[in-house]
Amino acid sequence: MLQNESQDIEQASAIVQAHAPDSKTRRYDRQLRLWAASGQAALESARILVTSASATSTSILKNLVLPGIGHFTILDPTVTAPADAGNNFFLNGFDSVGKPRAAEAVPLLRELNDSVEGVADTRELESLLDSDMGREWIKSFSLVIAHNLSAKTLDRLAELLWEENTNPPLIVVRSAGFIADFYIQVHKHCVIESHSETNPSLRLTKPFPALQAWADSIDYDEVDPTEHAHIPFPIILIKEADAWRKEHDGNLPISYAEQKLFKAQVIARQKKLDEENFEEAEGQAVRMWSEKPVSSDISTLLTFASPAETLPKANYAFHALLETLKLFVSHPNGPGALPLTSTLPDMRTDTESYVKIQKMYKEQARAENALFKKILKEAFPDLSIDEGLVDAFVKNAHHLKLIRGRKFGDFDRQRTELQSGLEIFNKEVATHVALSALFNLFSRGSDPTSITPESLRAEVNTLVGQNSAPLNEEVEEAIDNAVGEVARTPTADIPNTAAFLGGLVAQEAIKLITKQYVPINGYCVVDLVGSWTGLVGQPPA
Amino acid sequence: MAESTMANGNANTSDWQDRYYHVDQVLDRPGPRTDPSFAAGEGVKDFLRNKCKILVIGAGGLGCEILANLALTGFKDIHVIDMDTIDISNLNRQFLFRPKDVGKPKAIVAAEFIMKRVPGVKVTPYYGKIQDKDDDYYLQFNLVICGLDSVEARRWMNATLVNLVDPENPESLKPLIDGGTEGFKGQARVILPTISSCYECSLDMLNKPTAFPICTIANTPRLPEHCIEWASVLEWPRVHGDKKVDTDDPEHIGWLFQVASKRAREFNIEGVTWSLTQGVVKNIIPAIASTNAIIAASCCNEAFKIATSSAAYLDNYFMLIGTDGVYSYTFQYEKRDDCPVCGGESMDISISKEWTVERLIDTLTERQDIQIKKPSLSSGDMHIYFQAPPQLEQATRPNLEKKVSELVKDGGEITVTATTLPFSLSLRVTFT
Ligand SMILES: [Zn+2]
Repeated sequence: MLQNESQDIEQASAIVQAHAPDSKTRRYDRQLRLWAASGQAALESARILVTSASATSTSILKNLVLPGIGHFTILDPTVTAPADAGNNFFLNGFDSVGKPRAAEAVPLLRELNDSVEGVADTRELESLLDSDMGREWIKSFSLVIAHNLSAKTLDRLAELLWEENTNPPLIVVRSAGFIADFYIQVHKHCVIESHSETNPSLRLTKPFPALQAWADSIDYDEVDPTEHAHIPFPIILIKEADAWRKEHDGNLPISYAEQKLFKAQVIARQKKLDEENFEEAEGQAVRMWSEKPVSSDISTLLTFASPAETLPKANYAFHALLETLKLFVSHPNGPGALPLTSTLPDMRTDTESYVKIQKMYKEQARAENALFKKILKEAFPDLSIDEGLVDAFVKNAHHLKLIRGRKFGDFDRQRTELQSGLEIFNKEVATHVALSALFNLFSRGSDPTSITPESLRAEVNTLVGQNSAPLNEEVEEAIDNAVGEVARTPTADIPNTAAFLGGLVAQEAIKLITKQYVPINGYCVVDLVGSWTGLVGQPPA
Repeated sequence: MAESTMANGNANTSDWQDRYYHVDQVLDRPGPRTDPSFAAGEGVKDFLRNKCKILVIGAGGLGCEILANLALTGFKDIHVIDMDTIDISNLNRQFLFRPKDVGKPKAIVAAEFIMKRVPGVKVTPYYGKIQDKDDDYYLQFNLVICGLDSVEARRWMNATLVNLVDPENPESLKPLIDGGTEGFKGQARVILPTISSCYECSLDMLNKPTAFPICTIANTPRLPEHCIEWASVLEWPRVHGDKKVDTDDPEHIGWLFQVASKRAREFNIEGVTWSLTQGVVKNIIPAIASTNAIIAASCCNEAFKIATSSAAYLDNYFMLIGTDGVYSYTFQYEKRDDCPVCGGESMDISISKEWTVERLIDTLTERQDIQIKKPSLSSGDMHIYFQAPPQLEQATRPNLEKKVSELVKDGGEITVTATTLPFSLSLRVTFT
């Protein structure tokens, strides 16, 4: 007994040594469950430039330093004012007053995470934008974040970063009191791991041969009751579809009545009332009329595929893979569908059947992965692509996303878009325009005391332009509310709004850097009086 | 910005000129949607900075953020309760803690940090359980913010604040602001006990915890999770008897991982890893700084609006999903008349005449809108089944096999209690 116990302990510590996570993995455990080692590696190689050490800026940075970005630089020429010391958690209270704001903030941010590099830079953004060297330096970062820049400086920065599609994305953040918005300027952003919660097709309407053979091999009248209660739902649905096609000229259920009948037929196959696998098949029957060889989202995406000759410099790997995917779908030896998923949902079945069906999907997925790689090699013989990236692409082929953004301010430059936006999303667009008006006035040298609801309203009218029809009452009210609130607090960077934006903007930055999950495309508008957020100004399809 | 000449609402020496330059813009004048009752200026600043007393439950992921926001917005008398100590896995988001703090009480370290960073703010920590405190303790606060990850603790806090309400004394109504996060998602809500819907009203909104049927675990495992559950639920007690699994002990996790891996190999199941083993046995919820920042800011913003009337507060639920763009939804969650905490009406339940007391108990523990662990049942003066004390348990145990319909008449009431909850649930039973 004693000996057993000591052996047990020895063995246990051997296992602990071999498998227990190291301290870095333990520190990051709660986030690695969201973006895994690949996302973490991307974060650790990110270099982020933030154009001030305002309360909002340091709140954003805090949420990027904690998960472990590689490097940040705070660009801020100002010295800490008593007002800054009161609203910014990453300054040393009154002790920081009179000292350079960036240099005061950097150490307090760095102490959140030893592995992050942080630099304080007191140069002026405007003068950097004036010199070639300065511009190159700005472009050397992987992401630029700008809070409350004057409209003029912001336009110059946005212009610079928009020039080439290989330049870093820019996140523009604007806030006043309870009101804020932010925008991601990026040409194209490709997401392989979108972590979509929708189920990928199991290809039940067009089963691969091994799966079809299994379905064919089962005779409901022959199998014993235990086996009958353990037939996995995909097999049940494939068999039912075959039976249905025979009765309906080779078609699957189309009308609602047919779909209902199909489900009834599935459940009628139950030999005993408690056969959960048939209940599950009934519940999953919707797959038989919703699963497509290529979903409509991915079909749209495939129109952006680029053959070898026109492969863009930015995101070239993604575009090459997209082109390969297009070729794969139409390849004579291919399945005529997106590559098969190898991750199956749990099913009401026994271990043996589950392992069997899982193995079938895995083998088929492996074969299709090999075909994909063969096509890739043929289409892009000179391209070197990391094999892990190809595998991830094939695995996530059902959930790929491509964001095609536009330049900061394009929405505001399209008056008709602004006008129709106001009609539909009145409070959201009104809030956005009120902020645009505020920063326009600032950039024309307006003193904060001269900001009134009237001066903002006049600027809003200029931005929106004279509409042929008068604005309706709801739009009027929305604009009054937004300009009134902005006029109340034209220069307020209040801690709760800063923290709220700090979280939202950091989430988007993480999505951009890891290329996982899906960032916004448009202006995210925040109103903490009404406690709501909204999205406006998405580029027209 | 230093040119502002706005006066301060406070004689406190730590309040240097312009300290509240930003917040004061909100407090010095109303906005277009501000309620007319808002008294802009010195009065509201004095209340916020010198009189308002606020309680924060939890000094973890949300708690750290909440404390920092409250301190910066001008709350100066803050209390915080947390029973946990700091773990290395907290450091990716609980930004008031450093590696040297691992093992120390969260409430104490967080309070010290805030007081050092934000001068003039008093944070009073309590390292212990919310259940240690009595009604008088909770009555001293103007507001309560909850940043907890435990459903049970929130139910307790919610029920306690609802029970505290004395219609004769308006001061007894303590607004409760509750936040929660999971990965890129979260929610914040404002609960006015007895007036708006409470935490218990919306219990069925919670994600159902993934529970694996015991027969799957024992007989037909398919997923790696099934093998891990087998190791922790069936094998551990078989081998180790009464000794409980310590989910923070790497040797225990190692043992479970090894046993689960062996079972997975036997059944040709792939995917048992150390991380998954730990995730399943500890029921780990992914957590990141940014989501906590959003939700904590939302909670503090509502607290600030309630304390100052500078803007209308949330009525009453804000939810956020950040996985695909930024999606949020602000809505009014409705009060439930049959809410066992704030509703007043009993809950109707229809069961078969044939059901035994045991079956009813099983059903109650499984129902998403009730979620009660180890309930005790009585009807009028009759004890139907009591989990404790042992004598009473023994005396009522034979009732478990009896039919409910033998003990309670059709339309009769059953009172359900549990030691974990500070309220009782009354059920009106009808038989089919
Ligand atoms: Zn309730």
